[in-house]
Amino acid sequence: MLKTMLELGKIHFKEYSIYKSNFYLFTLNRIVEVIVYIFVWQAIYMQTGNTGEFTIEQMITYYILVVSLSSIATWGINEDMAHSIRTGKINKELLSPMSYFKYYFGINLGEIGFAIPVSIATFILCAIFWKVIMPVSIMNFVLFLLVIVLIIPISFFIQMIIGTTGFYTNSIWGMQILKKSIISIFSGLIAPLTLFPEWFQKIANILPFKEFIYTPINIYLGTIPLNEIGAIILKLVLWIAILYLIAKIFFEHAVKKITINGG
Amino acid sequence: MNNIVHSTQLYLSFLSASLKEMLIYRLDCIAGMISQIVTQLVEVIFIWITFQSTDNIAGWSFQQILLLYGVTLISVGISDFCFDALYDIGPKYIRQGDFDKILLRPVHPLLSIIGASKEYSALGYLGLGLFITVSMLIELAIPVTFILIAKIIFFSIIGAAIIGAINTIFSIASFWTYKSNEVIWTFYRMYTFAQYPIDIYNGFIKFIITYILPFVFVAYYPTMNYLGMDKYLIWLSPLIAIVLWFVAINVWNWALKKYRSTGS
Repeated sequence: MLKTMLELGKIHFKEYSIYKSNFYLFTLNRIVEVIVYIFVWQAIYMQTGNTGEFTIEQMITYYILVVSLSSIATWGINEDMAHSIRTGKINKELLSPMSYFKYYFGINLGEIGFAIPVSIATFILCAIFWKVIMPVSIMNFVLFLLVIVLIIPISFFIQMIIGTTGFYTNSIWGMQILKKSIISIFSGLIAPLTLFPEWFQKIANILPFKEFIYTPINIYLGTIPLNEIGAIILKLVLWIAILYLIAKIFFEHAVKKITINGG
Repeated sequence: MNNIVHSTQLYLSFLSASLKEMLIYRLDCIAGMISQIVTQLVEVIFIWITFQSTDNIAGWSFQQILLLYGVTLISVGISDFCFDALYDIGPKYIRQGDFDKILLRPVHPLLSIIGASKEYSALGYLGLGLFITVSMLIELAIPVTFILIAKIIFFSIIGAAIIGAINTIFSIASFWTYKSNEVIWTFYRMYTFAQYPIDIYNGFIKFIITYILPFVFVAYYPTMNYLGMDKYLIWLSPLIAIVLWFVAINVWNWALKKYRSTGS
């Protein structure tokens, strides 16, 4: 089963890489996104001599990692499922001997497979223009990667839940944008969460989005003590279980009401 | 001259057709607008967060930066609404072969495509932009005179025209790659650079957004004029819009000659 999943991922990856220009454009896109953030913080640093609780080098590295990671954290099947509901392609997918979730997880892996080289290229290119900090230790780097790996199923199940709403609405475009905004705010994508008000941080601590961006980056920068990481991993595993259950139950419920839009 | 009048009339009838199309999906339209507003609020939160660490950015106060942000958003809203279909040239028209149909019409294909724009969710941008602009004008105690209102309306439209021309220039990439969206999007996104005082940037970026992709004339110099920081540069905006459209139309016509149908 795993092999089939990986094959699916590979096919999907190839669909992307046909357009080589995609790779350069996506990377350029990422860099365009980061420029404003970095220059605004640099300006603040020049005037006041501080940038929140971070040094300016940490802040710049923070944002470079944000744009690098954001493709891994936010890409995925997104529109694919809604598209197959809209066009009626879904009836074939439901009939295939592979479970629907596994089928899409395979496709999701293909997307992530494309996101990783974009992330790495973004990071390397940014490192040419700005001074970036390297991870404080190998241990920190390994844990940084581990948290990112644990994010993949969380992000996937959230996408499945949103995709399933497509059974009722046929269009999930609005939901997508809403999801993206919620992740932007609660993950620390727009700014390190410690700069937000106290009550906001409390909410962010419970939600899983913080681990998309803020937590891995702070592990990388060494600003989270290593003994707290056990609790973070436990939290992630719990969220994977919760989201899996929600996604599964919601999907089983929705699929009973299915109407196929005769593809 | 006759030609321009005729084109304008045609454009308006295209526009009213797309407006009618949009009103069919009323619910989708409202959902789209709300989510676009939420996306923009994320940016406002960023500005707010940065001002927790400082009281000005390059001499601009929180209210002044928000005014710049609001004025930019008005232009972006108008341009997204009017020129959204440029993103479709590659994926929708050329790849699926609909472009050949458009070529057969007795209208310039660019006009046909732009006229089909109906990015109603951009109205959310426009609404939010107007709201921020008006409330910041009041906060900053800038007298809202008739002249100021006329200026804001006029220069917002000019700003939208500048963005539209830049998008049109980059949309020619679709004649070769059959997928214009990413190319346009990448350069279009650079308008966000001009949402902050340009003194924060290094010479290279300043050069790009002033001379190569003149996004500073969309809202930055106009806003400086409304704030009384700069009197004259605002008047370059209409001139730049005209030059850019002249370039855009010529470049587009040149690219059109290179067009080969995908035959599907």
